[in-house]
Amino acid sequence: MNRVVLVERLVPNLYRLVLEAPEVAASARAGQFVMVIPDEKGERIPVNLADWDRQQGTVELVFLNLGVSTRKLAGLKPGDTVGGLAGPLGRVPEIPDPGAVLLAGGCYGIGGLFPLARELKQAGRRVVFLAEARDPAYLYWEEKIKKYVDDFLTLFRADCLGTGRELKELVEEIRKDRPDISLLMVMGCSYLLFKLSEAGSGLGLKTMVSLNPIMVDGTGMCGACRVSVEGRTYFACVDGPWFEGRGLDWQEYFNRRKAFLSQEERALARLDREFWKRME
Amino acid sequence: MSGQDRLEPGQAERLSKEREKDWRKALRRELSLQKRLSIDRQPMPEQESGVRIKNFREVNLGYTQELARAEASRCLDCGQPGCVAGCPVAIDIPTFIKYIEAGELEKALEKIRETNGLPAICGRVCPQEVQCEKDCNLVRAGKAPVAIGHLERFVADYLCLREETGAAVSAGHDRLRRPEKIAVVGSGPGGLTAAADLARLGFRVTVFEALHLPGGVLAYGIPEFRLPREILHSEINFIKSLGVEVRTNFIVGRTASLEDLRQAGYRAFFLGTGAGLPSFMNVPGENLLGVYSANEYLTRVNLMKGFRFPEFDTPVPRARKAAVIGGGNVAMDAVRTALRLGASQATIYYRRSRAEMPARAEEVKHAEEEGIVFNFLTVPVRFLGNERGELQGMVLQRLALGEPDSSGRPRPVPIPGSEFEVEVDLAVVAIGQSPNPLLIRQLSGLKLGRWGNVEVDFRTMATSLPGIFAGGDAVRGGATVILAMGDGRRAARAIDEFLRKG
Repeated sequence: MNRVVLVERLVPNLYRLVLEAPEVAASARAGQFVMVIPDEKGERIPVNLADWDRQQGTVELVFLNLGVSTRKLAGLKPGDTVGGLAGPLGRVPEIPDPGAVLLAGGCYGIGGLFPLARELKQAGRRVVFLAEARDPAYLYWEEKIKKYVDDFLTLFRADCLGTGRELKELVEEIRKDRPDISLLMVMGCSYLLFKLSEAGSGLGLKTMVSLNPIMVDGTGMCGACRVSVEGRTYFACVDGPWFEGRGLDWQEYFNRRKAFLSQEERALARLDREFWKRME
Repeated sequence: MSGQDRLEPGQAERLSKEREKDWRKALRRELSLQKRLSIDRQPMPEQESGVRIKNFREVNLGYTQELARAEASRCLDCGQPGCVAGCPVAIDIPTFIKYIEAGELEKALEKIRETNGLPAICGRVCPQEVQCEKDCNLVRAGKAPVAIGHLERFVADYLCLREETGAAVSAGHDRLRRPEKIAVVGSGPGGLTAAADLARLGFRVTVFEALHLPGGVLAYGIPEFRLPREILHSEINFIKSLGVEVRTNFIVGRTASLEDLRQAGYRAFFLGTGAGLPSFMNVPGENLLGVYSANEYLTRVNLMKGFRFPEFDTPVPRARKAAVIGGGNVAMDAVRTALRLGASQATIYYRRSRAEMPARAEEVKHAEEEGIVFNFLTVPVRFLGNERGELQGMVLQRLALGEPDSSGRPRPVPIPGSEFEVEVDLAVVAIGQSPNPLLIRQLSGLKLGRWGNVEVDFRTMATSLPGIFAGGDAVRGGATVILAMGDGRRAARAIDEFLRKG
């Protein structure tokens, strides 16, 4: 039984959920995820671990309220229990020595990258954090992250729109002032992963992305999350979720994430109807 | 292995001692052999095929008490029964059948449960035709074998579903308490059997399950129309009533390592981690939307109850033309599921011929009655998609049977120039699974076989690491429920011995 300790909205549509899960907290490593089932009729969805507290026996998740499952999670109250929580899952990313690491996160990825920032810093690495958001009002955890990074940079929509600048130039600029950056790690929406992977790889900078495909069991049993890297198929849940972005078949990745789009829309509309019925 | 070798130590004597009891002798005299031989095998009542393809309820409806007694009286209660040796968990089959004939159903169930913790499941999913029923002496007399599976199922259903926890049957056992804690990894048939036997031996047993519901392949793989979930729950409750603790959402190897569990006081381990790594064919287009592993397709439907979407949140693909690749039980389950989810055409493509199909005879019969189309000696060489990456068809190649391969079955050989195209919007790949590597690859020094399977001494199911035993599909690749159970049973005995030696 995993009890809810806290649910809060960090910024519009992004939520923080703290759950009791002492065993998961005890084994959690930066860059891993958990499978969560919102309620007894719910789906199993992967959510990145954004933090944990071994003493308290809790884990923290940051997620975007987007579909049925995340809407159910966002609607939980302290004291509720979730249908299930299992983890930690996924391989711990291998981070080559030496050099500074540029962590680039958008959306839930800002929270999801926090444990990596902390772990790298504690291991004595130089860490540069790039937080991507629509505008400053959508930024969260700035103070929390700043404690563990050498540089905290932001990327807002206004920085790109109308300036004609490519992301590649931006990464190049960041690197110009910090030539010791040897690795770029990205977490967030698929488009950000794709664009930054393109930018990083174009500059010859090793770029790792945390993929978030559809999963069912999350333990390598079903293959729902298969992705192609340089013509070979991998299961993101057990071989990933971190992959080098360069050789990834991005078109396939985008397609496969939409496998159940029409059903997902239907289910969300149904949940909305139920919600309004209760409100009447 | 010959028949007699497969009997457990001392079993031949136990069987004949039971057979010589007075009630058995009296019962044998009640009907002459001729009379018994003249009774026909009682057919299993079924949902009619036109009705059942529109629902997920069980196809077989089960014997009534009258049918069961008639069928039980067909058993000749012979002196040298072939059935027991054919049973991987060595159930005393003649005794339980004779108890049915005598109307003593509680005693029949108790007899079965002495060696089999999951009778309602085995009665449904065992391939009886190649096990207990194969060597039934009625076959030698030119008759159909006693319907042992149907009878096992009858007894289990009749009583299990009535008992709250099943405790009534187990309570009679005088149980010795043992202090050692044992961890069983995986709650499939192998793990549950090992757990039940170890609990009966008095050990404190915890079963760790990675998914949110216990049962392993019984929960995620086998559809409700073959194994209703209340049956599974009732069997698991019975095992819990023996004192077994089941912890779901606990991934040994991730949530805690085996070493962590050892530190926590677990003295021996049974790895029943299953064959949860689906095989794909590695042909072009296999990652198109609409191509699924059987594991994913069946997990969505069975474990996640996707067939009740949107009441349950997990969506399942709904297809017009469904193709399932493979000829085993998993393929039959997938293709019949596709039909029930509304496919207007559901087709099996199998690379060998009908004779080589590994599926249970009853599943093939049911599939045929339901209108499943079978295409033998064909294999997909390419999946075809549209610009959105959605499956639209596949290119198949015809095969011919050649020389036997390492499995002893004729090897399918491609016929050049025989490619043809079919239109499909769902393809389920059901060509087998290999052992799930998540845990077993972490254990340094654990000897693995060619297919990533755990190597064991089959007499004891001991692995190359002391105190660690394994069984079921983790050892065998894709096998059957009952073989996994036999493994669990042998492992439980060996764990007991291992701990006695200290």
